[in-house]
Amino acid sequence: MTAALFRKVLVANRGEIACRVMRTLERMGIASVAIHHHVERTARHVRMAGEAVEVTGNTPGAAHLDIEQIVAAARATGADAIHPGYGFLSENARFAAAVAEAGITFVGPDAATIALMGDKISARNFAEANGVAVAPSVMPTDDLDAFAREAAAIGFPLLIKAAAGGGGKGMSAVRSTGELREAARIASSEAERYFGDGRVYAETYVERPRHIEVQVLGDGAGGAIHLFERECSVQRRFQKIVEEAPASSLDLALRERICASAVRLASAARYKNAGTVEYILGADGRFFFLEMNTRLQVEHPVTEMITGIDLVRAQIEIAAGKGLPLEQSQVRAEGHAFECRICAEDPGRDFMPETGVVQYLDVPDERWLRFESALDRGQRVTTDFDSMVAKLVVYGSDRQQAADRSVTARKSLTLLGVTTNIDYLARVLDHGSFRAGDLHTGFVREHAAALEPTPLHADRRAQGLAAAAFGFHEVRGLVFGTPEPHAAIGKWRN
Amino acid sequence: MGFRLHLDGELHEVTVARRHPTLILTVDGKELEVAAPPGPGDGHGTMEIGGLEIAFARAAVGDRQIVRLDGRTFDVALVDPYSGGGAAGGAQDALKAPMPGAVVSVHRRPGETVLRGEPLITIESMKLQTALPAPRDGVVARIYRTEGETFEKDEVIATLEPQTEAA
Repeated sequence: MTAALFRKVLVANRGEIACRVMRTLERMGIASVAIHHHVERTARHVRMAGEAVEVTGNTPGAAHLDIEQIVAAARATGADAIHPGYGFLSENARFAAAVAEAGITFVGPDAATIALMGDKISARNFAEANGVAVAPSVMPTDDLDAFAREAAAIGFPLLIKAAAGGGGKGMSAVRSTGELREAARIASSEAERYFGDGRVYAETYVERPRHIEVQVLGDGAGGAIHLFERECSVQRRFQKIVEEAPASSLDLALRERICASAVRLASAARYKNAGTVEYILGADGRFFFLEMNTRLQVEHPVTEMITGIDLVRAQIEIAAGKGLPLEQSQVRAEGHAFECRICAEDPGRDFMPETGVVQYLDVPDERWLRFESALDRGQRVTTDFDSMVAKLVVYGSDRQQAADRSVTARKSLTLLGVTTNIDYLARVLDHGSFRAGDLHTGFVREHAAALEPTPLHADRRAQGLAAAAFGFHEVRGLVFGTPEPHAAIGKWRN
Repeated sequence: MGFRLHLDGELHEVTVARRHPTLILTVDGKELEVAAPPGPGDGHGTMEIGGLEIAFARAAVGDRQIVRLDGRTFDVALVDPYSGGGAAGGAQDALKAPMPGAVVSVHRRPGETVLRGEPLITIESMKLQTALPAPRDGVVARIYRTEGETFEKDEVIATLEPQTEAA
């Protein structure tokens, strides 16, 4: 390696992704700067960074969205680049512009590209103009009657979406004109609330759609390559919970067409950075452009697992003007990888967010897995930030081995004190239809009953109760007397 | 000598049947021989039950013990062995709260009869719902806390009419 591309990079994020970015920075010999709100001053990403700057805000989330403070922090610490991670300001065109204006390199595309892809309508139009298939749709007008008439003309079912949307907010499927009017009204007000932009549109709703996305790298001068696809069809509340690379049972010719389509889009946009082009794929093999994410994706590790390419390193190199790290013909995929998003939520209560303190944490350690998190024992999980607390990424030589390993790894992963979806995810990975690759975005709903916990066997329940009983000191007093005879104790580590 | 554990909305009866030469617990009437019991405090390790070595992790969360065993999570509360049913004499007239919480529903009104073990009042405590059973057969005398009202641990939330000699 020659001289460092940057001397110091500020990571404008937190949690697992800030830690993951810093890991690569360290490997590249680049110093890191963390930002944090007061409530997370002892968080792992703060401890990992060479320096840390506190940002203030009415809420911790607001602090991480404060463009002025973050740019000032980069200036004050002498950072020559800012990596935005995902979420927060990663797709905020104003942020990218402010960073550039301060003479600091933004690890991402320029503000104009972010704005182009950030608006679903302009992104769609751009994709369509460049030969990327988009689903038949109706653009909104202020005239709700005309909108409903035109939408009905495309045919139901339709999907109502917010123009400025993401994360499933302001999205709903409708099957009749009556439903459409009400859904459009609700979606519009939801979009107004979440994004400050009430524009909605309707497009063909593909039944049993699969979510397929392509990882691309662009050099900013029209050069672009793909790093194959990922499948993220297993979702709840329109948010991904299990992702994999490559997609299961995808016809080779179809795979090539989808990947080529993504490269065409990235190239046409003179895209600069790692990015993801998302598609929905119907059972008939038709695929439509959904959106392009102009940042590192949560699920990027599955692509890293099968290609051996460090996407953060690629981002840094591209941002530094070194161009693409390799040519298309050099990109190889081998094996299969799954990512499970571990969220503080209760699958038994419609995935409602949960809070608590991490009382105990035991993480599996295998060379074929990555446990991406910023969790520590004693850490309080609050609703200040996203409910995703960790990612379990597992590699296998084929899909079955990767799935088996995911289930095994999950069994030895112990996180006590906060209710999570860990067991739920294992049931997904063990489900017959999942194993068969019979996936679509309604998977969670379709198999809801089968994904409930199996009835607890009486023997197992008795063991669990006994195990718990020995944790109550009243019970220990009853059983052993005080003081406890030491010899009676089995293998136990605190 | 026993106690009750709360798991998934149900109460389970645990007793210490024997201590020597090996410890024998009964859980809902079924005997478990515990050869190597686990240690105290949050941690992970094994215990030996009926000749099987069983690995698990356990941590205290508030008044509850959370156990992870064979890929399943058990969220267990200890119901105070000295309150509620089971005691002799006048104590059987009163239904005491085993833990602080709130009343979710009242299943019997004053004057109605109830059989031992039938749910009298369902309470919610730390997000767990528990049906409190009548300590004996009888007639409900008073309900002190109704739906939505909160109470402290050991508070009397219902009473039964005193038993008369004539049966």
